[in-house]
Amino acid sequence: MKKNRRIGSRFLIGLVFLFLYAPIALLIIFSFNEGDSGAVWKGFSLHWYASMLRNRLIIESVYMTLLVSLLATVIATFAGTFAAIGLYSLPRRRRDAILTVNNIPMMNADIVTGVSLCLFFVAFFQFWGRFARWFNGAQTAFALPERLTLGFGTLLLAHIAFNIPYVILNVAPKLRQMDGNLMDAAQDLGCTWMQGFWKVMLPEIKPGIISGALIAFTMSIDDFVISYFTAGSSTSTLAMTIYGMTKRRVTPEINAVSTLLFLTVLVLLVIVNIGEIRQERRKRNASLQGVPLGEKLRRFFATRAGLYAKRGLTAAGVAAFVAAVLFLTRETQSIPVVNVCSWGEYIDTDLIDQFEAETGIRVNYQTAESNETMYSLLKSGGADYDVIVPSDYMIAQLIEEGMLSELNYDNIPNFQLIDPRFRNLSYDPENKYTVPYAWGTLGIIYNPTMIDGEITSWGALYDERNAGKVLLINNSRDAIGEALMYLGYSVNTTDESEIRAAYQVLDDASRRGVFQGKVMDEVFQTMEGGNAAIASYYAGDYLSMLENNEDLRYVIPDEGANWFVDAMCILKDAPHMEEAEAWINFIASTEASLANMDYIGYASPNAEALEQYPAYYEELYGEPMEPEIYDILVTPPEVLARCEMYENSPPDTRALYNRLWIQLGI
Amino acid sequence: MKRKLSLFALPYAVWLALLVVIPLVIMAVYAFTDSDSSAATLENFTDMGVYASVFVRSFRLAAIATLICLLIGYPAAYFMAGEGPGFQRVALALIMLPMWMNFLLRTYSWMSILENNGLLNQLFQKIGLFSLIASVSGQEIESFQMLRTPGAVALGMVYNYLPFMILPIYSVILKLDKNLLEAARDLGANSAQVFLRVILPLSLPGVLSGVTMVFVPSVSTFAISRLLGGGTQMMLGDLIEQQFLGGAYNPHLGAAISMVMMVIVVLCMALMNHFGEGEEQAVML
Amino acid sequence: MSKELIRLQNLCMAYDGETILNNINLYINDKEFLTLLGPSGCGKTTTLRIIGGFTTPVSGDVFFDGARINDVPPHKRQINTVFQKYALFPHLDVYENVAFGLRMQRVPDPNNKRGAKLSNEEIDRRVMEMLESVSLKGFERRRVDALSGGQQQRVAIARALVNRPKVLLLDEPLGALDLKLRKDMQIELKRIQQQVGITFIYVTHDQEEALTMSDTIVIMDKGSIQQIGTPEDIYNEPKNAFVADFIGESNIIDGVMVKDKVVKMYGRLFPCLDGGFAENEPVDVVIRPEDIDIVPVEQGQLTGTVTNVTFKGMQYDIIVDFRGFKWLIQTTDHSPVGSKIGIKIDPDGIHVMKKSEYSGMFGDYSSFSDEYDELNGADGAEGQGDET
Repeated sequence: MKKNRRIGSRFLIGLVFLFLYAPIALLIIFSFNEGDSGAVWKGFSLHWYASMLRNRLIIESVYMTLLVSLLATVIATFAGTFAAIGLYSLPRRRRDAILTVNNIPMMNADIVTGVSLCLFFVAFFQFWGRFARWFNGAQTAFALPERLTLGFGTLLLAHIAFNIPYVILNVAPKLRQMDGNLMDAAQDLGCTWMQGFWKVMLPEIKPGIISGALIAFTMSIDDFVISYFTAGSSTSTLAMTIYGMTKRRVTPEINAVSTLLFLTVLVLLVIVNIGEIRQERRKRNASLQGVPLGEKLRRFFATRAGLYAKRGLTAAGVAAFVAAVLFLTRETQSIPVVNVCSWGEYIDTDLIDQFEAETGIRVNYQTAESNETMYSLLKSGGADYDVIVPSDYMIAQLIEEGMLSELNYDNIPNFQLIDPRFRNLSYDPENKYTVPYAWGTLGIIYNPTMIDGEITSWGALYDERNAGKVLLINNSRDAIGEALMYLGYSVNTTDESEIRAAYQVLDDASRRGVFQGKVMDEVFQTMEGGNAAIASYYAGDYLSMLENNEDLRYVIPDEGANWFVDAMCILKDAPHMEEAEAWINFIASTEASLANMDYIGYASPNAEALEQYPAYYEELYGEPMEPEIYDILVTPPEVLARCEMYENSPPDTRALYNRLWIQLGI
Repeated sequence: MKRKLSLFALPYAVWLALLVVIPLVIMAVYAFTDSDSSAATLENFTDMGVYASVFVRSFRLAAIATLICLLIGYPAAYFMAGEGPGFQRVALALIMLPMWMNFLLRTYSWMSILENNGLLNQLFQKIGLFSLIASVSGQEIESFQMLRTPGAVALGMVYNYLPFMILPIYSVILKLDKNLLEAARDLGANSAQVFLRVILPLSLPGVLSGVTMVFVPSVSTFAISRLLGGGTQMMLGDLIEQQFLGGAYNPHLGAAISMVMMVIVVLCMALMNHFGEGEEQAVML
Repeated sequence: MSKELIRLQNLCMAYDGETILNNINLYINDKEFLTLLGPSGCGKTTTLRIIGGFTTPVSGDVFFDGARINDVPPHKRQINTVFQKYALFPHLDVYENVAFGLRMQRVPDPNNKRGAKLSNEEIDRRVMEMLESVSLKGFERRRVDALSGGQQQRVAIARALVNRPKVLLLDEPLGALDLKLRKDMQIELKRIQQQVGITFIYVTHDQEEALTMSDTIVIMDKGSIQQIGTPEDIYNEPKNAFVADFIGESNIIDGVMVKDKVVKMYGRLFPCLDGGFAENEPVDVVIRPEDIDIVPVEQGQLTGTVTNVTFKGMQYDIIVDFRGFKWLIQTTDHSPVGSKIGIKIDPDGIHVMKKSEYSGMFGDYSSFSDEYDELNGADGAEGQGDET
């Protein structure tokens, strides 16, 4: 009877662990996968571990995560311990009041903490800007920086802020348990308060401090939400990098990094646990075994030689910590930098290395998900970009709101290489702000093996027969634009009834369960894996998907499609203007354009590059380019004629789009 | 001497005011203003009716996830506390350990399990589940749609937050005075009665703090719903994120939603703690 | 006895608006065993902590050997303390606990501004010597939480004495021990005090402890000193009803001093030894239970009815009702419940005290339980008082 129960309970605990560890085991297993899939095993390989070390994005975010967590833990442990000691000598009522406030960050949802901190920092920066301008205007001896942005500093502050309560929570009980007279006794026996603190109080509350620090460190490492709202654009922790990647495909390199971190902790845990068990066993038969090692060490450290050894060890520990911090901060040293924001998989990363090697300017390359999210990031003060690569309609909006800086085209001679077709477009009629980066179309990608017949109309996206197989694009402008085209309206209509009609199409389809989900870059993995049949996405990205799934097809529907130009611009007050122009000039060059075209699958606006590409392709791959592919890459003029470019909408229309879009989501 | 020590508390009080209180005040200010004018307005709140269904979905899914966590976590914690110290030590470490692998990554791993072509569906295929269904009901299906459903989101929540349910319950049960149990037996209670009338009521503080620690992050998550819900299961967290860093920039509305969510959560917790007879927030970890 | 070592002058202490000490004036002689005695909350521990330097008084001064030491921190005073519950350092073993103070000590050294540390040999010698004198040899490497209460107690004393202080403060050091051990330790403490020949200032709420060990007892209540004196003085000549009640068992009766050496109780005149009161001044009269003789009714100065008899081994505790006011009488003779008895009190058994704020609060044995007394005492006693 009893035995049965024991087996039953172990079985349940076993199931819980299976549930907790199955996904982790999977992640670890697939870090050794030969292929890059998270579900298909192609054989054992360690190459993800090798390439992980070369992936700057990952390595930098691991650095950043460790740096922030370490610093935040040390500072929070120190501050939290003293705060707890202080709190415990306050009168009860005042102590309870402070402890209540102290609990807020732990009880509050992370997102509320993150959002409120973000708003606070931004408000402070505005205030600071005003103050700094006044200060710098009032005197000339000392100049304060006028522009502060979210970044490492705010991230660290936020981490410290949410770590301290955990430290206090762990130290406080130890203080409560401590005999109130202990400190008095120490002083009675000749200690000053500080000596008493080191010799008596600290050893007493040490377990609390250690567990507080451990929890703080774990929380810091695991945190995503608060970092996400307070780190701004230029700083990225591992969690944020992973979040960015989950939108398209998490490279197994991340699995590799995480596996290493995980195993490190596992090994540490095992060592600690075994140590503890041994110690306990020792204690039990201490009389049999003579002097245990710990005691020998203790005695050694009590001698004079031991004293120096102890000091030496402490100094070595401190030095190691400082070295680690310095090592980790080396990234933030002041070499010329340019902060670039673009879209995912939208550059040949070799170009970044090439540019850095040629100019010595460090490129801080980040990606945003869509024009709208990038706009939000800029508006919320979280962005620290110099160069951005928005699409046409967003450029118009940014110009309208005075957020872009005029370019000095003398510094960008390669602008002359841009095909005149792509100059002076509607979004920037006098071409004062932009240098085009790439252009392409938005069409339908589908998997003929999963549906019957060919697709020629946007209607396929809303067709009940395709229920559960369609992926809707997850941004308002494109999704509503497609429905507008389906209904035969202009994508730039400002007529509310037309827009509402388009919304109705989406809403109906959504209610009938046509859409499997709303995706942006997640589309890659889903379509490549054959998990959905139809999606609307950009031509260039189709070409990337084709490499992984040959079944996929791309079509520009009969109703027409959207064609877009993404162009590089520089934000107003960008701190690295010169470096930014150098970067733009570099990217606009023919060589860079060719490499980019080949890598990202979007057509370049560089006239020479457009002309030379088939030859470049043949030379690179040893076979001529298929004309159909070339047509998708570089849309022929007659097809382009059927397509319409987005224009900047008036604010009312934008607000309507936003409202309808959110409404569709709920 | 004591008075001198309390000076240590002063910087922390200032820090708390600066980084906890003022941000919340600023958030409240945002919630009661809009971008055009600096005048106070209630518009952000009155407009919120549209999102009622998001509120309902968030609270419902979070409640379901919390309940499941409780149903799994309580017995697990209870059984764990009954094991030997060695077993407990290992089990405890194993429960904390997953936190060291980023939660996004672990959640992402579920995507490859739940996908239409994912491991679970492959498994069903292999064991012939689909052909079985086809022969029984005549319905041809190739896969179960598991990803991008409410169930997937709830699963993600349970998966991520289960340890937060187990740990507080476990530590409360562990600290239960064994004499109480013996006393109950002495007074004639059988095992079931001991559990129902002594252990359960006494472990309530742990349950309450577990419920809080699961419910609060669940109701406000956006990454889990984003990954496993595929954008079809918009939650409060998504809604808020959209207003700050997502496609619909409107921090005023976002702040208002955050505030309403915070207030509802606080009310729920207050209500629960009231029923828990004010058994204070008890055990953390 | 000998010269004055510590003087407390006009000490006042308040915390959160509540008065803890009210104008304490006290001097303590060298090599004296002085006990601060009083119920909990009377201010005795606070007084001790002020002497030790752990608390700073709101007003008033502390002098040590003639120098004002108000602002001298505890670690610079030649005073050591044995704390309530000992406050032994749990992370250190017995040896290290005792050595703690010595490791902190600096002796003047011309080569070193901060002074030189004691040598390890010196520390070892003194620690071992100390441990031996408290019979803890062989326990050096024990963890302190693995010791019994009495052993911990001795470590605490050793830890304090090893520093050779001029004054040892002891804050209810025997409170955590059981009765038997307490008795032993009382004698042991006294022995140690005589052996090392320094001042002990001892805080307790146990009157028996105080009477056993002290040279001088200071009785405190509500932040004020009620009486200072030798144990004999305090027992025999309590200054007011509080002291009389707190020290030993007392019947406290309202009386009127008719003239010197004559006091009137229950309408009768009793001869006594006290004098110096105004004529017909209302007074409190203390009669110790053992000073009352039971006699046949006819011979008694007063007659009453026995309401309760308890056998206490050496004697009987008899409660006798005198017109509603219950007396405690300790006698070796047995009188059955319900019987009428007479009593007789010798003149030296009657102690007359001035009326004080404590008058009418103590002395009635209507109930066996002290708690009951405390709960009902004031009202009940007043009611009784009216009868006379």
